[in-house]
Amino acid sequence: MSEQVVTRSEAQARWRQYRWQLLYGEAFDPAMQMALDEVLTRRVGAGQRLPTLRFWEWTAPAVVIGRFQSLRNEVDQEVARQLGITVVRRITGGGAMLTEPGKVITYSIYAPPELVAGMSFVESYAFLDAWVIEALRSLGIDAWYQPINDITSAEGKIGGAAQARRFGAVLHHVTMAYDISPQKVVQVLRIGREKLSDKGIPSAERRVAPLRQQTNLPRETITERMIEVFATRHGLEEGRLQPEEIAEAEELVRTKFGTHEWTAILP
Amino acid sequence: MHGEYKTPGGKLVVVDFDVVDGRLCGVEVSGDFFLEPPEALERIAGALEGLPVSEAEEEQLAERIRASLDEGVEMVGFSPEAVARAVRRALP
Repeated sequence: MSEQVVTRSEAQARWRQYRWQLLYGEAFDPAMQMALDEVLTRRVGAGQRLPTLRFWEWTAPAVVIGRFQSLRNEVDQEVARQLGITVVRRITGGGAMLTEPGKVITYSIYAPPELVAGMSFVESYAFLDAWVIEALRSLGIDAWYQPINDITSAEGKIGGAAQARRFGAVLHHVTMAYDISPQKVVQVLRIGREKLSDKGIPSAERRVAPLRQQTNLPRETITERMIEVFATRHGLEEGRLQPEEIAEAEELVRTKFGTHEWTAILP
Repeated sequence: MHGEYKTPGGKLVVVDFDVVDGRLCGVEVSGDFFLEPPEALERIAGALEGLPVSEAEEEQLAERIRASLDEGVEMVGFSPEAVARAVRRALP
């Protein structure tokens, strides 16, 4: 897909014009994850941070709903509460997803808008995840990009991407199911019939094909291969979160992402 | 009232509202679409608020929504027509 938009060498050159930093390892709670995404997007947009690839580790299970989704339409909040799942809202559009520690692979790319200049939104999704498709294929997983924003395979959907162009930067993040129980997904998320209408798939459970179903590899092995492929294609240096970034994110949890007003902004 | 429409190959739009004195009231537009800037969502819902049901033909609705949006607003995976169709589906 990216090759149709810009040639492979042009794509290479676009990524290579930046020094990329890797953030990997530290775990945060769901509201803090949402806040870090906003803070790091702002920082890259303001030139206070190098373009960054962040892998997320979760301390607790969460349902993450899209910026424009209705809380009550998407989530069975009673079931979420019973299962100890926190519901948070992210700043990007797209659909609701279930995450649990060690059971998903989530990453964010924070980039200057020039990286995707001249591309449509739809084109930029495939462009920004081309390295992931390469990494999955190198592990024997027959993955491909399904526009607009799905990473999929013959066995079913692996994950979804969401993007925002805000604060002078592009935020692109993806969650892939590693070992999420599809039954639990349909228990806590309300997936309507209309949504499935043009997918030709009779059962919501069958929509998701977690990576572990497709490979015996440990989650860390997949993540490490992804990092290797990114580093080889685009260059990557180890980075770390700055104390002021963490402080700013904690403040945003208090004033925004941890509040009911934000989570229920579309009730 | 509740209506949904999924653009083929695109995203789901959901519209919730009441009808009071023959007009759309308390309109909420939601879904798993992408929209930049996010504040444009209020413009879309606002374009439908108070509209007489008798004037809620799909084409008119879409035109009203389109006219409410500033230049530079990006709707990804849905369109004014998709929102209009969800409204029509909500109406009896």
